[in-house]
Amino acid sequence: MENQSNPLIEKEKIKVDIYLDPEIISALGNELEHFHFSPVNKCSQSICLKDNKLVITSHGHSTVLPYFKKNILSFLNSSALPKTEVEAIDFTQPLKSFHNVEKKLFAQETNQTNLRESWDEIIKSINSISSGSHSLSSLVENILNVPFLQTFQSSLLVLHIKGQTQASLLGTIWRDSDVSELLNVKVFNSLFNSVKKSKIKSFTTENFPEVNLPFNGSFLAKEFTSKKYSLISIVSRHDFLSYSKNEIELFETCIDLLQPYFDRLVDQEFSNTKVSELRLCLKDFPLPVKLTDQRSGANFNNNLFHSELQQQDVIYSKNIGNNFKIDFFDSHELRHYAFDLFHFQRISLLGELLNTLRHELSNPLFGLKLGSQIFSTLEVSDDSLEMMTEIEKNINRCQIIMENFSSLYQDQSEARPTSIQKIIDEALVLAKSEVRDIKKSLQYLDESQDLLINVPLIFMVQIIFNLLINASQSIKSTYTGQKGEISLLVSPVDGFLSIEISDNGPGIHQDQASQLFKPFFTTKPQGTGLGLVLSRNLAVKMGGNLEFCPSATGGATFKLTVPIHETFADH
Amino acid sequence: MKHLLIIEDEILILKSLQKLFERKGFKVDASPSGKVAIDMIFANNYDKIICDLMLQDISGFDVIEESRKKYSAQEISQKFVIMTAYNSPQVLSKASSYQCRLLNKPFQDLDEAMKQMIE
Repeated sequence: MENQSNPLIEKEKIKVDIYLDPEIISALGNELEHFHFSPVNKCSQSICLKDNKLVITSHGHSTVLPYFKKNILSFLNSSALPKTEVEAIDFTQPLKSFHNVEKKLFAQETNQTNLRESWDEIIKSINSISSGSHSLSSLVENILNVPFLQTFQSSLLVLHIKGQTQASLLGTIWRDSDVSELLNVKVFNSLFNSVKKSKIKSFTTENFPEVNLPFNGSFLAKEFTSKKYSLISIVSRHDFLSYSKNEIELFETCIDLLQPYFDRLVDQEFSNTKVSELRLCLKDFPLPVKLTDQRSGANFNNNLFHSELQQQDVIYSKNIGNNFKIDFFDSHELRHYAFDLFHFQRISLLGELLNTLRHELSNPLFGLKLGSQIFSTLEVSDDSLEMMTEIEKNINRCQIIMENFSSLYQDQSEARPTSIQKIIDEALVLAKSEVRDIKKSLQYLDESQDLLINVPLIFMVQIIFNLLINASQSIKSTYTGQKGEISLLVSPVDGFLSIEISDNGPGIHQDQASQLFKPFFTTKPQGTGLGLVLSRNLAVKMGGNLEFCPSATGGATFKLTVPIHETFADH
Repeated sequence: MKHLLIIEDEILILKSLQKLFERKGFKVDASPSGKVAIDMIFANNYDKIICDLMLQDISGFDVIEESRKKYSAQEISQKFVIMTAYNSPQVLSKASSYQCRLLNKPFQDLDEAMKQMIE
């Protein structure tokens, strides 16, 4: 065995199928001690000395090179050392077991011609199984095609990739239904060890009550393990009869012979999952992404990528390894994503703030309420009693407002039937201080007041609240001489509910109207330019829209439409 | 006549509850401080101890922990009533480990809440 820390143990020599001129061996001596050369010049490769020059022969071709050490070593290294790039299937183990069984079988004095035939057939079918199975599950299923296994009903495979917390059970039962289950790794280990320790490799499901095998009865099992995984192959006839010695040996040989193919398929499927997971990540990445293999020129584009994107849209580019280059593009989607992020950050901060505020205020408010209740039961004048009643009412109002605010910031993006009246009332309560001095008129057409619409309450309230604030700020921005007024008109139109919010402020100039819904466009010194963009996004999410309508009388009108669902329309 | 102790740092709540129970004929001691309340628990024999969780000096759970020196787990579960405005899962699970009654502030129904406190 190779052991570099112990010089007493000789290193294993690499046996090479090369004939080397004895003169070279004696000249180079130590340099070549790792190699064990063929003693006779009958190999397909050889290095000989002729006229003090090297004659290197490889598979019939000869080359004459100067007698330099490096020429000898480079040839030896290139042809003698095991190739690492291509992993060859290793048949040594399986072949050994194959020969053993073969020898044993034919040593018996049974009808040898029959046995020889069926043995050949088995080998033939294993060959066809292994070449015809392109996935683990098909290989497992095809095991049942081996001649002597044709009375068997189930073939299963329990596979544990090392390092994972679960093992997977796959295969076929009753020859027609597929099984795919997950197994706890502890259960797998106990099964694996029992199979490994067993000499007869024959079991019944009663031995393993903790393993939920999808059949009952006796079964054959064979385990093997590699660097990356452990595996148990199971076959069963679904009966309680025991298996013959021949059957057991044939099964073991079969699995041994198939092991290299298992190896390859596990490897393939394991790396396939990784690649497909990676693809999925890139596919849904929230920026347009283009991945280029610079060697072959092949591209991978994700969902957001489209052909109109130009090189100048690239905002970030990185080379991965020597061949791959990944480009991230600036885009419309990016900006929308960024607003959402920005907006949600602010909202969640506000939500936290509100929660703290609610907790901090609810205790003192509760104290005030209890105190006022006690006071109102005391013998006091009517005046004082009236005052205490007012105080209590105010406290109640404070509590309700706080509840409303905090419920607004809870996650209520779930749609549920809500009356339009409730939505507008809530928006008006929230905007109360902003629209204090402004006259408000609210009109419902065609009994729309009682309509229920199936939308997330928070979306609607936020849009109407935004529009009310905009209207009010616009009115306050210029003094027009007349009293400010905001009017809301609710009407059902063709399956949609329309809510028009108009103000009598200065209105919006023609050249600004086209930019209204562009992010960061604002006419207000402290505006963010996001209110209308977000409001429209929310409206679109609900299946509706938000538009600006020019008004003949000056002022501005915004029209919000959301779908009315039939089931609620005649409520 | 039952003897109650109310521990609550919001003075208005404390005084109001004290008044309300006194009107019903209870003998009521009141403390806004958890540390003072612990001394009172050791000096007296209360029938019920109504305790807020978020006090200024220590927490209501600390008061209960200290009281275990005097009372058995069963007595704790019968004597203590927890009031809280923060019903987070952590608080709820910790409160349930003492198995005593838990009331959320603000009370939806004052009379009902008072009834539950002295049950």
